[in-house]
Amino acid sequence: MAGLSNRVKKEDLFMLQFWEVANRAINTGPLMRMKDFDLKIFKMTSRLIKEYGITFDPKTPIPSENDLIDRLFEAGLKLYVEVGTYCIDTERVIRFSEEEIREALRELQAMPDEIDIGEGVERRRLFKRKIEDPRKPLVIGGVVEDSPKEGRDFVQLYKSIAQERIIDGIYYGPPPASIEGKSWTIASPLDCHAARSAVSWMREAIRSVGRPGLHLLDACPSALGTISACFPENGLRKTDAVTLATVSEIKTNFELLNKVAYTLHYGCMRSPFWTSIVGGFGGGPEGAALVSIADALNALMVYYVGGAGYVMVSSILQNPPINTARQTIWVRNVSLQALARNTNLICGGGGLTSGGPGTEHQLWEIAALGIHTSVAGGHIIHGARKAKLVKPNQGTGMEPRWEGETARASAGLSRADVNELINFILTKYESKIAPELAPEGFSFEELYDYEEVHVKPHYFELYLKVKNELAQKGLRFN
Amino acid sequence: MGKSVAEELREGVLEFDEEKATKAAQKWLESKIDPFRAIIEVLTPAIQEMGDRFEKGEAFLPELIMATDAMNAAVKVLEKEISKEKLESTKKGRIIIGTIKGDIHNIGKNIVTIMLMTAGYDVIDLGVDVEPSKFVEEAERSGAQLIMASALMTFTALNMKKIVEYLEMDGSRKKYKIVFGGGPLTEAWAKEMGADGYAPDALKTVKLVKRMMGS
Repeated sequence: MAGLSNRVKKEDLFMLQFWEVANRAINTGPLMRMKDFDLKIFKMTSRLIKEYGITFDPKTPIPSENDLIDRLFEAGLKLYVEVGTYCIDTERVIRFSEEEIREALRELQAMPDEIDIGEGVERRRLFKRKIEDPRKPLVIGGVVEDSPKEGRDFVQLYKSIAQERIIDGIYYGPPPASIEGKSWTIASPLDCHAARSAVSWMREAIRSVGRPGLHLLDACPSALGTISACFPENGLRKTDAVTLATVSEIKTNFELLNKVAYTLHYGCMRSPFWTSIVGGFGGGPEGAALVSIADALNALMVYYVGGAGYVMVSSILQNPPINTARQTIWVRNVSLQALARNTNLICGGGGLTSGGPGTEHQLWEIAALGIHTSVAGGHIIHGARKAKLVKPNQGTGMEPRWEGETARASAGLSRADVNELINFILTKYESKIAPELAPEGFSFEELYDYEEVHVKPHYFELYLKVKNELAQKGLRFN
Repeated sequence: MGKSVAEELREGVLEFDEEKATKAAQKWLESKIDPFRAIIEVLTPAIQEMGDRFEKGEAFLPELIMATDAMNAAVKVLEKEISKEKLESTKKGRIIIGTIKGDIHNIGKNIVTIMLMTAGYDVIDLGVDVEPSKFVEEAERSGAQLIMASALMTFTALNMKKIVEYLEMDGSRKKYKIVFGGGPLTEAWAKEMGADGYAPDALKTVKLVKRMMGS
């Protein structure tokens, strides 16, 4: 037993239980004003960026330096040790010691780095990918938020996604903005009804295309909605997952903690996601990247994702709030790389675009998201949609399909090659990401035959045009 | 030769240093120069400079917040020697702002708040998850002219309509201008909810407020 100490500490004996995490949020965490917490993040990121030499080079949105990636992880870990997670409801900070965090990371290494999602013939093995991994990523796409209208519109739109064979799971929600023609508000009786109805329509959509076992990732915003949606017969099953947002930056609340508590009992998977903001409390891209790592540790320590789900890594500009800008591509890319090299988390990314569906502009943005997420060790989780939806039913099956195709086609490419490719793709849309310049796009009815759920020729031709251009650049689509 | 008190005061704001700004303000009082001039000639241009830097992407939101804190610390010292009326005259108007009930997102609201402060408005920030009735009560209590509410989620944005309903119920709708904003909202939606104005981002919000307040 050489090298092992005989001195046993209390924390060696017990894995940190969620109930202790909840206790820190409710009773024992230090009290702090939210403004002080926000400013502390900025002061810490400013210091750590210098200390660890983290720099964003705009010419290299996809860096290949492992040393930078590992320094980023260590700096992000230090940030999380210093700031913790802020619980908005109690104004307390959930703090963890560095030992507790490193122990949780060690425990994560000992857990299986793959999980099964979905059922029957739709069962898929979601695995931890590596940087430049030749194994193709899975596609849990969807993402149209509360845009689709209730009832048949909802079913038809999600059928368009479920029928794409590249889809391995569907992200959906929050539920439609109205139920029985009535607008709903959070944690209300109509929220409960909307959440339960939405998951039933999802089941109808996937059944009707012959894929009843397809994995579902639910995005009900409230714990009430999640609890309402979890029922094995016609709702969320234990092979499905629920999303857990992290409020920017590094904050949680009782709705989210209640979701963790409930899913620990119910036994379905959890999928934390976060959106660190470039220009927010982390500062610029470097600070947002540190915050992103801290958010990942929040997912591990507070949302209990280890061995029980997968995470979605995201970063947006303060304005416009999109994932496809050069800076936000860098933030997600370095974050995914840092998590791939330093943790056993199963990671992925989706995306918020400036352009709307049915436009060449958005197809290029989606390609950028799919390709850079894949090379950094991510799966496609959440799919892609326009950041600001301007009309109802603004999403189709083509967007997650395209994101999945580009992600799978780029599996195994080097970071240097992808960097060149992303710089090329950025020239296609980068100058037009401002809301007044980006095309607003079209609705499902304008892009698909509503009854037959077939893409209309003009959208398909646009998709082929972009695909051919990328194939000429060397991307090999199967 | 040492720095002038005005330079120290300006640096206190631009370096986000509350202590430096407070000390400089005390020195200013000791110098017997009209303290009102410190606000008009030094602090206001300094915070406007920070606002300009933020607009150009040269400063971050937390820096703007800390600069505003430093300016407020200096004003707190100086205002002891300035009449209330004179102090009020520096403000372009009073605004109530908050994130609506059910919504806990604060970054967009914080940016708008700070941008309005740097533009010279007296902004009362109610925080996040604010009851609609609270907006109305605080507007009445403080004598505000404008009520602003934000939301990042459509299903919480519906609560904004209650602000308008309360004001109509109390017969005080015409006393206030109302602006709604936030990620998922559109101008048409804000109008439908009964707002007088909507802006898609912080910079446009400041322009809108200037237009609405006639300042």
